[in-house]
This record gives sequence, structure tokens and C-alpha cells, in this order.
Amino acid sequence: MKKLLCTLAIAALSATSIAHAQPKGTLRISHEIGFGDASSLDPSSRGRVFQVTDKLMSRLVRPGLDGKPAPDLAASWSANATATEWTFKLRANVKFHDGKALTADDVVYTLRRIQDPKTDSPVRPLIAMITEIDAVDATTVRMKLGQPFADLPLQLTDYRLMIIPKDSGDTIKTTGIGTGPFKLERFDPRGTSVLVANDAYFEGAPKVARIEVIGISDAQARVQALLGGQIDILPGMTRQQRTLLERSNRHKVQRIDTGNWRGIVFKSDSKPFDDARVRKALRMAVDRPAMLALAAGADGGVVGCDTPVGPQDQYRATQQSCPRDVAGAKALLAQAGFPNGIDIEVLTSTVEAVWPTIAEAYQQQVAEAGIRVKITQVPTDGYWNQVWRKRDVVMTRWNDRPADSALNEIYRGGATWNESFFNDPKFDALLDAARRELDFDKRKALYVQAQDYLWEHGATLVAYHVTDNVGSTTRVQDLDAVETFTIRWHLVRVTD
Amino acid sequence: MLRLILRRLALGLLTVALVSAMIFAAVEALPGDACTAILQRDASGQRLDNCRRELGIDRPALPRYLEWAAGAVRGDLGVSAHNGKPISTLVGDRLKNTLLLAACSLALGVPLAIGLGILTGLRRDGAADIAISTATIFAMTIPEFVSATVLIFVFSIWLGWVPGIVTASASSPASAFFPGIVLPMVVLTMVMTAHILRTVRSSVIEVLASDYVQMAILKGVPYRRLVLRHVLPNALLPAINVIALTIAWLLGGVVVVEKVFNYPGLGNYMIDSISDRDLPVVQAIALILAAVYVGVNLAADMLGMLLNPRFRTLRSRAR
Repeated sequence: MKKLLCTLAIAALSATSIAHAQPKGTLRISHEIGFGDASSLDPSSRGRVFQVTDKLMSRLVRPGLDGKPAPDLAASWSANATATEWTFKLRANVKFHDGKALTADDVVYTLRRIQDPKTDSPVRPLIAMITEIDAVDATTVRMKLGQPFADLPLQLTDYRLMIIPKDSGDTIKTTGIGTGPFKLERFDPRGTSVLVANDAYFEGAPKVARIEVIGISDAQARVQALLGGQIDILPGMTRQQRTLLERSNRHKVQRIDTGNWRGIVFKSDSKPFDDARVRKALRMAVDRPAMLALAAGADGGVVGCDTPVGPQDQYRATQQSCPRDVAGAKALLAQAGFPNGIDIEVLTSTVEAVWPTIAEAYQQQVAEAGIRVKITQVPTDGYWNQVWRKRDVVMTRWNDRPADSALNEIYRGGATWNESFFNDPKFDALLDAARRELDFDKRKALYVQAQDYLWEHGATLVAYHVTDNVGSTTRVQDLDAVETFTIRWHLVRVTD
Repeated sequence: MLRLILRRLALGLLTVALVSAMIFAAVEALPGDACTAILQRDASGQRLDNCRRELGIDRPALPRYLEWAAGAVRGDLGVSAHNGKPISTLVGDRLKNTLLLAACSLALGVPLAIGLGILTGLRRDGAADIAISTATIFAMTIPEFVSATVLIFVFSIWLGWVPGIVTASASSPASAFFPGIVLPMVVLTMVMTAHILRTVRSSVIEVLASDYVQMAILKGVPYRRLVLRHVLPNALLPAINVIALTIAWLLGGVVVVEKVFNYPGLGNYMIDSISDRDLPVVQAIALILAAVYVGVNLAADMLGMLLNPRFRTLRSRAR
């Protein structure tokens, strides 16, 4: 927290001292060409290259540095007493890169387009609770919800919910026209995409004149590019690479807590995992700090008690403790009718490099509690559609999402991505209650209760939340020490 | 002679056809398909069915293969399963880049290897021979990804003379690849030098020991003239086949080097297409590579026959 305050103070100071400086210098970053030829600038499409779109476009609401929703295109918002009707007031005098003024129509168009089943956007479920979107006047948007949802603004901070100009659905994938701090000069996903400063950006002209986003598919090549000074920022660096950078006088490293997690999931609708006692036993015999140390290094992540909510999230449950309890696990297994322990098969793969290590650590740690683990390595190809959600015990990983999304998308009964097939009306009721609650403290209490419930009954072992190492060259200044979608790119500077 | 060429050509075409069938079968056998590669976690139910129908991969493999093969014979390689762009354009850019890298490496490596091969052959077992031979064997045996990493570390990160990776896109003009192309060029040269060098060296030694060279020496031919007129023309012949193999390898087998240096060539594209399950592209590249291998070998054989009348007569007599 102290570090964050320091960064903030420095950012504020430098922001005032060079407030009137012209944009200058080029910032170079990379992306992994994850979508190949399907790469697109449509922010809500499957092939979105967010490293480009998040600099070209703006959301209604952005995640603030404190994790709470902060104004972006919407200057303010309010809800009715039941949290079923929301009104967003837009910022005045915002212009798209093509010179057109932003109006409520653009917002309505963007969100309706995402909701249209024909668009087939992967973000559609995220705003499925919105039943009506209307422009009240040029700068006011009203949304009606099918159910109460107190955290709607937080939901709208998703990096894929960028506002695009009205009727640009067919062209946005190549034009990339938005209201963001940078404008598109060239989009070339396998080569170098070029963005230039948008002097008319509503929070002031950016500090760098140009951003180059270079497609580099090989992880090692990306590291070499950073070391050789061909790119300036590289998130997701390993422990070993971090050490390398810390020794270099041309590089620095930021450590960022993220909501990205790795774990093991048990299919709660098949035997013996349909018994909550077995599920708890399978998780309580784990020595979490030791597992973290083996997989990512003792400071490579943050452990919790099987909550999917990240350590940086305002709703994270922190009061639980879950030290390794072998005797407790044995007792629960005996109660459930397995006095001699159980045999399980864990399927792992190198889809995520660290999975095999976690699986092996698990095998060793739970052996003492009479849980005999057989590890089976399966190919990376087809893992998500032939193994995950199909077999009884598999490895899993999730990227950062707000508490409500994490709990609802992965654990609510019947949800598309409910990988553990966890189906418990009591748990779902807690989530519904939280969504209805407009008072922050009461809402937080409900979300925490839901996380507690998962610790007692859940079927997912959340091994740890990843702490990211963001490497950068020393020429990069004022880079917010937060996860990538919260960074205010218009404040970043480069020195030469 | 003509019959021989035609026969070799027919055999070559058969090889290419077999390779394409094998590649198709191999990619089919991999778990997952283009749709699971695109959709990842969403790959299930209606969405998966729709995607498969759109890409036409819901039909059995055999008709799909035959359809593709018929198109390929007509010179139509089809369109990429992912973005619908014609494969000839997509692959054409990469082929151009791979050719550029191959040409640069050959321009650096072949004269170097031949020169060193002659030198070591003439100075057999001398200090120079031992030093150069050992060094090139070392250079060859170090895996490309190791030498690439070491070179990047020294020349790009430490000294900062050349960029460590190529950041130009596939469709950039050739000039955009300099100076990024220098390191991959050097790595490839390191690997290929030893093969050519050793062939040249042993044939120089062999020719030096032959009767006609001995005769020339006894006749009192000056050393320089002896080497240039009598030794070299005969010693370089066997090198043609090795150089041909090297060309074929450069065009298709440098996947690792292209990947490490982020070079937008054919090998890199092949790997990406395999992981995307973009079958039409994989097929097209495999076809091109097979054709290159067959073609280059055929050309080398022909060249050898043209330069050396003995090959022709021996073969036709044997028939």
C-alpha cells in the first residue's frame, strides 16, 4: 500500500511538472499473436488484441487504482433503490478519432451489439442481466436489469466492453476507432502495429508520441527482445527472468498481485466427489505455502482458502485460515465411508507450464491423508474440450475477473463455465443477495460469506493467485503498478 | 538423358503426392481441430457445430482431401481456414522471406565453407586444418537454439550491435529485415559450414592423391596452376549435392531458428498453422517444402551429370 501511495505521489508530481509537455518518444510493447490470423480490433470479439484496443478505446467505467469503479466515458452514475435501473451520465465533449462526438447512441449501439446473439461475442454473458438499454438524451444512458445488480459499474469495467462508434460493427475490426489516448496508424498483428498520440484525448494528451505493439509469438524471443531493448514492457516474466532483470542496470521489475489463479478441480456431480466431506478432505490436506513455493517460489503468488477472488480485489475473504490438516482430512474421509483412503486420477497437461508441478506437489502432500493420486499427463491439444469439464479431476486456470464474475461464472449452478458442476441453491442465494445489496459493507459481507461457503463445500482447489512480474526498461516512467487493464496509458512516459 | 530426367520428375511428383497425403493424415490424427483451436474453452455444443459447419470440417476426411488435392493440381491452394485470405498470398510472403534468409546465409556460408574446405584440404593435418576442422564441427554440433541464444546474448544484449529479434511483418520489403537478419544468418552459417567444408576437404585430399595430379606435379606444373586448373574443378563436384541438400534444409528445416528470432518465414508460419489447425495452410506449406526438396535434389543431380560426363555414361551403360 505504501508503495502504491509512493507511486501515486510520484505520478501526481511528475504529471503536474510536465503537464504541458508535447508527447514525445516511442514506447514499444509486445503481444503473443494468440489469435493468429483471427486477430481483430473489435474489442468484444474472440480475436481482440487487447494490447492495442485498450489504448485506442475507452469504457464507460474503468477500474480505479483502488479496485473500485472510476469514471471513464461515464462521468457519473446512479441506481434506483432496488438496483434494477441504472442511469449513466456521459462526459461532455468527447470525440472519436474520426472527429465525431460521442453520444449516448454510441453506447447503446455498442452494448446492444454485444448482446445480439448474431454477434456471438464471448462477452455477452457478462452483461446478460441488462434487459433494456436506452438513450434518454444525448449524454444520458439508462439500463434496466432483469434482476438487481448492485455492482453493475464494476461489471462494466471489463476490458472488452469498450465503446465503439455507432454502426461501426462491420468495420471496427480493422479501423479501431475509439475515444482512447492513442489513435491507430497501422494494425499488423504478426508484425508491428503503430499507434500515435491522440492530442484530443479527454484526460489530456498522452506523454508518449507513439506506441509500437510488436507481435512476437515465442515466449523466449519476447524476453530477449526486452533484454536487448527492442521492447520496453513485458508482463508475465518468470522467477528466473525476474532475477536477471533485477541484476541489470537497464531494467526494472514491478510486482503486481493479480486475480489470475491456478488450481485443481473435482467434478462434484460424480462419485466420490458428490460428498462435500470428501471434497473438503481433498483440499484440507494441502500445504498451500509449500505448494506455492514449489510451483512459483514463495513470493510468486498469494495463497488463500480456495477463494477465486484475487488478493487485490475489494471483496476478497481474508479472515479464513487453512493450515494443512492431515488428521482432519482423514477423519472426514472416514466419516464419508472411506476409512482406508481413496484413489484418484489427476489429469494434467502443459497448457499451463506450472500444472505438472502443482499436480506433483498435490500428490506428495495428500498421500499422508490416504489420498492416493495417480497423475496422467495428457496432450495440450484439445485439453479444453476433451479433458476439462469431461474428466473427474483436472487442472485449471483462470484469469482475473471481478469477484462477482468469478463467483458466478465458475461456481453458480448451471453456469456455462461451471467446471466443478458445483450446484448449491444456498450458495446461489448468497450471490443473489449480494447483487441486490446497494450498501457496500453489507454487500462485501455477503460476498465473503459466499467465499466461506466455497471453502466448506466447494470442489475446487485454488492453489494460489499469481503475482505477476512486469519487466520494463529504465526508460519507462510513470507506469502504474497495477494489472494491465487498470494502467493509465496516457500518463506513461519514456526518457532517452 | 531426357528419359532419365522424365523418370526422375515422375518419381518426384509421386513423392510430393505421398507427402501431402501423409501430412493430411497426420494433422487429422492430432486431437482437436481448427474449431477447438479457435474457440478454446467455448468449444462445445451449438457453437462448436456451427464453427465446424462454417469451415467445412464436419465432413469426412477423405472427400475433403480429394477436393483439396484436385484444387492443388489446378494450382488453387484454397483459402486459410481462419481468415479466408487466399493461401497463395499468405504463403507467398513467408516463402519470399525464407528465400531471403536462405539466400543471405548461402551467400555468406557457401564461399566461406568452400574456401575453408580447400584450405584445410591443401594443408591436411597442419595446424590450420586441425583448428578450422575442430571449430566447424563444434559450430555444427551446438544446437541452433543454443548458438542463437548465445549470439543474441553477446551481440544484442551485451554489445548491442544488432537487434536480437526481427520485428518486421511478413509482408515488409526485404530491406526491412536488415539488420535483424544478421544473427539468424550467422547461426545458419555455423550449422551448414561443417557439412560442405568436410566434403570439399576430403575430395581435395582425394584429388591431390590421384594419378593425374601426381602426373602434373611430376610434369612440373606450378603450384598455383595445379590447384586452380587440376584440383579445384574436380574437387568441387561432390560439393554440389551437399550444397543442394543445404538449400533444401534452409528452405524448410530452419523452424527453430525462425522461431527463436521471430523471423516471419515459412517454418514459423507452419508451426503457427499447425497449432491453429489451419489444415489448408499446413497442407500448402508441406507441399511447397516437399516440392522444394525434390526439385533441388533433382537439379543437383542434373547439374552433376552435366558437369561430369562419367555419371551419364555410367548410368546409361548400366541400364
